[in-house]
Amino acid sequence: MAANNNIQISDLDFDSIKNNLKTFLRGQNTFKDYDFEGSGLSVLLDVLAYNTHYNAYYLNMVGNEMFLDTAALRSSVVSHAKLLNYTPTSAIAPVSTINLTVTGVTSPSLTLPKFTSFKSEAVDGVNYTFVTNDIKTVSVVAGTATFPNVSIYQGQPVSLSYTVDTSTNLSQTFSLPDVQIDTTTIIVQVQQSITNGTLSTYTLADNVLQLNDTSQVFFLQEGSLGLYEIYFGDGILGQSLIDGNIVNVSYLVTSGTASTGANNFVLLDSIGGTGIVNSLTSASMGGDQESISSIKYQAPKSYAAQGRAVTFEDYITAIQQNKLNFGIDSVSVWGGEDNVPPIYGQVFISIKPAGQYALTDNQKNQLIVDVIKPLSVITVQPTILDPDYTYVKLNVSVVYDQKKTTLTSSQISDSITTALQSYSASQLNTFNSTFSLGDVYSVIQQVNPSIISSSCKVQVQKKIYPTLDVSKQYILNYGVPLNRGVYSSGVNSTPTIQYYKNDIVVTLLNDVYIEEIPFPSSGVQSVSILNPGFNYSSIPVITITGDGTGATAVATVVNGQVTSITVTNPGINYTQAFLTITNASGDTTGSSCSAYLTLQGQYGSLRSYYYDGNNIKTVLNPNIGVIDYYNGIVTLNNFNPTNVNNSLGQLTITANPESTIISSSRNRIVTIDPYDPTSITVSVTAK
Amino acid sequence: MANTIQNRYSDLDLTFTRKPVSGDIALSTNDQAVIRSVRNLILTNHYERPFHPEIGSNISKMLFEPISPLTANYLQREIEDTINNFEPRVKLQQVVVQVAPDQNYYSAIISFFINNQVQPITMNLTLQRLR
Repeated sequence: MAANNNIQISDLDFDSIKNNLKTFLRGQNTFKDYDFEGSGLSVLLDVLAYNTHYNAYYLNMVGNEMFLDTAALRSSVVSHAKLLNYTPTSAIAPVSTINLTVTGVTSPSLTLPKFTSFKSEAVDGVNYTFVTNDIKTVSVVAGTATFPNVSIYQGQPVSLSYTVDTSTNLSQTFSLPDVQIDTTTIIVQVQQSITNGTLSTYTLADNVLQLNDTSQVFFLQEGSLGLYEIYFGDGILGQSLIDGNIVNVSYLVTSGTASTGANNFVLLDSIGGTGIVNSLTSASMGGDQESISSIKYQAPKSYAAQGRAVTFEDYITAIQQNKLNFGIDSVSVWGGEDNVPPIYGQVFISIKPAGQYALTDNQKNQLIVDVIKPLSVITVQPTILDPDYTYVKLNVSVVYDQKKTTLTSSQISDSITTALQSYSASQLNTFNSTFSLGDVYSVIQQVNPSIISSSCKVQVQKKIYPTLDVSKQYILNYGVPLNRGVYSSGVNSTPTIQYYKNDIVVTLLNDVYIEEIPFPSSGVQSVSILNPGFNYSSIPVITITGDGTGATAVATVVNGQVTSITVTNPGINYTQAFLTITNASGDTTGSSCSAYLTLQGQYGSLRSYYYDGNNIKTVLNPNIGVIDYYNGIVTLNNFNPTNVNNSLGQLTITANPESTIISSSRNRIVTIDPYDPTSITVSVTAK
Repeated sequence: MANTIQNRYSDLDLTFTRKPVSGDIALSTNDQAVIRSVRNLILTNHYERPFHPEIGSNISKMLFEPISPLTANYLQREIEDTINNFEPRVKLQQVVVQVAPDQNYYSAIISFFINNQVQPITMNLTLQRLR
């Protein structure tokens, strides 16, 4: 057989391998029919190429699974993460808080046992079981026992027992047979033997540095198929078990986020009276088992953090992996030095919890004390800020061709609303997300091919819960420059508010509105000093020139320096204006003062008004707030409503953004409010 | 190995017999190689060859259809298509499929020319289902 120098070995797919074999066979004369599909040689080449391809594919998959970045199987990813000392987060049981009142109790005290069951109302057609996770005892007063602020967790309690037998299970690893375990609820107790009922409680080991041969700890890891495994110490790192020990394990198996929002609970178990449940919060803060992509993302960061919180990523990782049962959607962290003005020595953290708007003060405190403080640098003070939501309100108009679809206009309208809501849920609703009108148009266009054209008006909203009957300042930062509006289409509020006339508790006005009054934009707003100069013996003359008329200003001199220049008349019709500073007559020493002008337009104001008995619009307070158009900030000063006319007590202030790209940074979240039916309005016209 | 007579076509004999003298594996050559190739193609089912489901014919499946002249016609077309598509060395002359309903088989007579040869070749195939 002749030498063939053209043999290729780098191809991996079947056809290329077979072609390479044919190229190889061209170098010989004995078998010539390699090129014909019916030949016997072709069958042999098929076998060879198939075998080579098979091995190449297998090696490729083995190669993939060998690295955390490329592994596709959960067991491989988890195994790689294990080398980085990372245990994937389990499902987290959503928690709800209730007040439980039990009537008709005859005993002097009543105990609410662990795992007392409650049934929730249906969420998406499923009633979920919630259980208590600890024991509470209260005294009974007049036959009634009251359990305040009881936390109940969604899940089914499971208890298992294993007998230690090193002859059958050498590694003494006990697999827990449920995937959706909330591992924070695992309780492990070890009984000495079947005849000796002494129980010891073992805790989860999280720091091997503190372990010795008598530490009663267990270790947790995720095994194959996503099942969790527990194992015990070897007698050096943690106390080891001996044959005959009985390991009792209990935990909750939860449905994770599926039960978020469950409410209106009913007591299922009999605890010695009639239970009346008053729900304080609906179920929230649940989570699902950590996904493969999340493990790939978190494990190296957890390793890099080395159990310390120093960089932004350290904080984010530590908070997302908290052991406090808090399901967290998104975390934003920044240093106080980035604030305006800077606040040194502080780290600011903003957290969007799963299923609710903000953490309670108690939860924030728990996070700081139990999660952040043990990891952070000693002198750095963590501060948790609530997310600051900027809501986007969309007013969509769509023209569609009714010959191209079987859908009715209301079905098209519904599908556009649904598509925009899912865009909001997936693209917005987290820190550092960006709303873009272009994205909205592409979402609308993809809803149905019959949609010919669409237009969309974007407004931004802030929602506040004013403290009633207390005069306060509210600063609403929209995070985007605002357009100057006119009466009725500028900044306004919904719903109406109740307000005492002139802040005197005599006449209560039931329906008070807020509207924008734009300042005239053609005068001189202010003068800023660049250099105060020196040696002025008298006040210099300030002259304003430009294409408008009437603007005047006066300077104030202190110790020979011009400390300020005040506009006394803004003038009108300026599109550009210049400032000249001339020494007063007789002042030969003063020099070097320089300053610049700002034209009007940065600010507008808000006023409140009502309709009197004769339905005449009457101004209540001509200056209830200020609008800073450039910085997108609306400030309500001395705002003191008596009531907000909706059930939530929530006041919405709507403004028009100058740009339709709205970014969020730090603790700001841009979103479309899923709970507000007016947040997306769609009008559909048939062509 | 020095070949004094150069074979136009030479193929591996899938019966894997040995040459009696040298002990080498036997070859099928020239006409024999082409006839074997045609036979192989006709008796190969679709999806039998790895990654190339299009190679082969649908004949073994058709044998389980009710035995009739119509099926015979389909068989004939299938044999023609298979040879025309996958065997470039032959020019197909005629395919005749005869039905033997009582014996429950078809008899196929395939005649073709091998390219650049004047002598036509006729091969007989008995197509009978086995189970």
